[in-house]
Amino acid sequence: MTKIKNFVRNNQYTSILVGLLIAVLALFSALKGSAFWRIDLWKGMTMQFPEYACIALGLMFVFISGHHDMSQVLLGNFGAILAVQYMAANVTEGMANGQVAGIIFIGIGIALAIAVVGGLINFLLVSYLNVPPVMATIAMQMVWKGLSTALTKGYAVKGVPALYTTVGHTYIGGFLAVPVVIFLVLLVIAIFLLKFTTFGEKLYMIGTNKKAAKFSGINVHGMLAATYLLSAIFATIGVLIMVSTMGSAKADYGISYTTRAILILVLAGCIPDGGQGKISNILLSIVTVQIIATGINLFANLNTYYSSLIWGGMLIVVLIMSTQVGNRAPKKAKKVKKAPQNAA
Amino acid sequence: MAEEYLLQMTGIHKRFGGVHALDDVSFRVRPGKVMCLAGENGCGKSTLVKIISGVYTKDEGEVVFEGNTISKITPAEATRLGIQVIYQDLSIFPNLTVRENLAINSEITAGRKLVNRKRWDETARAALDKVGCDIDLDAKMGDLNVASKQLVAICRAMLFNAKLIIMDEPTTALTKKEVDALFETVRQLRDSGIAIMFISHKTDEIFEISDDVCIMRSGKNVYTGETKNLTRKQFTYYLTGRDIEDDYFVPKNISPEPVLEVKNLTIDHRVKDVSFDLRKGEILGITGLLGSGRTELALALFGLEKPTAGQIVLNGKPIRIKSPIAAQKLRIGYVPEDRLTEGLCLAQPIADNIALSSLKRLSKAFGVLKRKDVIDEGWKWQKTFSIKTDDVTKNASTLSGGNQQKIVLAKWLANDLDVLILNGPTVGVDVGAKQDIHALVHELANQGLAVIIISDDLPEVVVNCSRVIVMKEGAIVGEMTGDGITENAIAEIIA
Repeated sequence: MTKIKNFVRNNQYTSILVGLLIAVLALFSALKGSAFWRIDLWKGMTMQFPEYACIALGLMFVFISGHHDMSQVLLGNFGAILAVQYMAANVTEGMANGQVAGIIFIGIGIALAIAVVGGLINFLLVSYLNVPPVMATIAMQMVWKGLSTALTKGYAVKGVPALYTTVGHTYIGGFLAVPVVIFLVLLVIAIFLLKFTTFGEKLYMIGTNKKAAKFSGINVHGMLAATYLLSAIFATIGVLIMVSTMGSAKADYGISYTTRAILILVLAGCIPDGGQGKISNILLSIVTVQIIATGINLFANLNTYYSSLIWGGMLIVVLIMSTQVGNRAPKKAKKVKKAPQNAA
Repeated sequence: MAEEYLLQMTGIHKRFGGVHALDDVSFRVRPGKVMCLAGENGCGKSTLVKIISGVYTKDEGEVVFEGNTISKITPAEATRLGIQVIYQDLSIFPNLTVRENLAINSEITAGRKLVNRKRWDETARAALDKVGCDIDLDAKMGDLNVASKQLVAICRAMLFNAKLIIMDEPTTALTKKEVDALFETVRQLRDSGIAIMFISHKTDEIFEISDDVCIMRSGKNVYTGETKNLTRKQFTYYLTGRDIEDDYFVPKNISPEPVLEVKNLTIDHRVKDVSFDLRKGEILGITGLLGSGRTELALALFGLEKPTAGQIVLNGKPIRIKSPIAAQKLRIGYVPEDRLTEGLCLAQPIADNIALSSLKRLSKAFGVLKRKDVIDEGWKWQKTFSIKTDDVTKNASTLSGGNQQKIVLAKWLANDLDVLILNGPTVGVDVGAKQDIHALVHELANQGLAVIIISDDLPEVVVNCSRVIVMKEGAIVGEMTGDGITENAIAEIIA
């Protein structure tokens, strides 16, 4: 018991998240019972979360640096559209799998190249031209959406090679979804960067006080360039996973994922004020959000027309909570310290 | 009968969690007198002020104001009683004019919704008249210098019919001349019967202005009484709990060749044709008023200002310093003027702040960094500089000003440096920590570091520098060395 108590005291935020996760599980168990505890339902979840979890991981770097990136998903969509167009144009029927794989890789390469361009544009706007990040990236969001729409007339681009969708739908060993593997690779990269490199160290410091970091000889421009690049690349990988799920690419696929990524991060205590954010909390947050998403789908009368309302409402609640918890944190901390003294 | 004491506080206690911030503090304020509340940073001065102004609630103790016991002070109650606090940040609206800043409170209290320019004007003028100062009412508050902002804040306090004005370290950002003007105002207020509580840790000021003094140390008041019954030596002893002597810097080995030469350096109109050189082992003081170009000059040496003309020569080679990154490569370090915004990441651990400028050295290939190495580095400097903390993984914000400044110093000294530029190294630092920092800088210079101290704290310049350059309006107006460096000599040419 004392071990748990100590953990709770030292990791207040993590404890709140664990509590929330348990509450969510309990709620859906109570309401749906066995319909909620089905293996295929949970397997389905592992197929769904990686696409937006990758986007959230990308956004995490930006939030820690004290910045913002609203352009991610639509930038990814533009890259994905070019990629799918390339794949559709070059894959012919009866082609050997090896050849198709080669074309798929080139397609992925195209999408990632677009991500690099988009990330660098965001960086230039924000870091060199000092445009406020939210506005700069919202504007870029419109630019990418506009380019995609102009290119496709707003239609979905079909013709994704069967190999691409099949691999995307495969469960390795019958249980481990390929998208999960991709997510885990990105996760390991993120953990490595944040916890074991000077990049992570500098990122948190820049997010806390950019000016002090600059005065300490940190290359702030370079760091921000890397941050916006990571954001764009991680998000584009998320979109590429989505392409395999949907079997096509479209200007406005996954448009609600921007809000969902923000929800995940804010819920995990990673807010764009900068300097904050723990990967373990973000993982907990991703799991919780996916369970909520799946749980809501179990209710037939809560159809997709309400989903924006539900997610938007949740984001507002979480934002309010995070601001309030943030404001009250010092007082609470004092009370916690006081308790043992009274006991003694 | 008029009360002998305006405010009496007896046996005040305040605890924050396990910290006993105020431990049985008692003192009295007489009307028409200046009472100085002195103490090092973190001794509980601010907590005490916040109790008087109603921001914090006391745990125990008695507060008597004008003979009435006040059981619970709220901020509104404090204002009603006539207690006004002028905080260091002055609580002003920088984007509004002086007139608006002065009139806004009475407009709000009166619940007026419409703007009447004439009435605003009258309120503002009346406020200025009370203090007897003359400030352009149309000036934007943010454009005024600190001294004028302070006057406006005092005027605002007077609008509330203040009986007790508490000034929280009002002289920190003022030049000598401005301090004199402020003291003139304080005396005028005092003579009109208002009690002033003046918070400071500067010995000279306290002896100049105060009638009574209350000295605090670690949450207790160690001396209360009239200032005239106290010698300066006793005062310092009460303040720090130890005897402190001014320790003048004597350079031991100054290198024959200059390490840094600045030739005809010009930055727009802010720095004009400045030339000097700097040798290893010496501490060069650059002093001047705010706006004299001293900070711009320093920033140019650290790559944050671009010279429009002139040359910088380092170890005999002409160089261009494009950025702090370049400066660091050239082994130039800079401890900035504003510790909180430029020096520290307050919400990050002490160790990480210390390691920030030496991450390259601490890391292995591909920037791989071990958490343990950062923390070890933190402990190393914690010991070297005796930074007061029990855990270097605590946030920098948990430290007092002096200890925070030691972090900023450690951050740069963790690199191998040839030149160290200190801009206002002891601003907002208490006497004890100030002494520590000075001793440290002396030692570094004697080990062969070339040090520049930029400061307008004249005693600091006199005690620490082997050579002093005085700047005025962007140009060098005087240079003195050794025994020629005196406060009077500098004061004569500085303004």
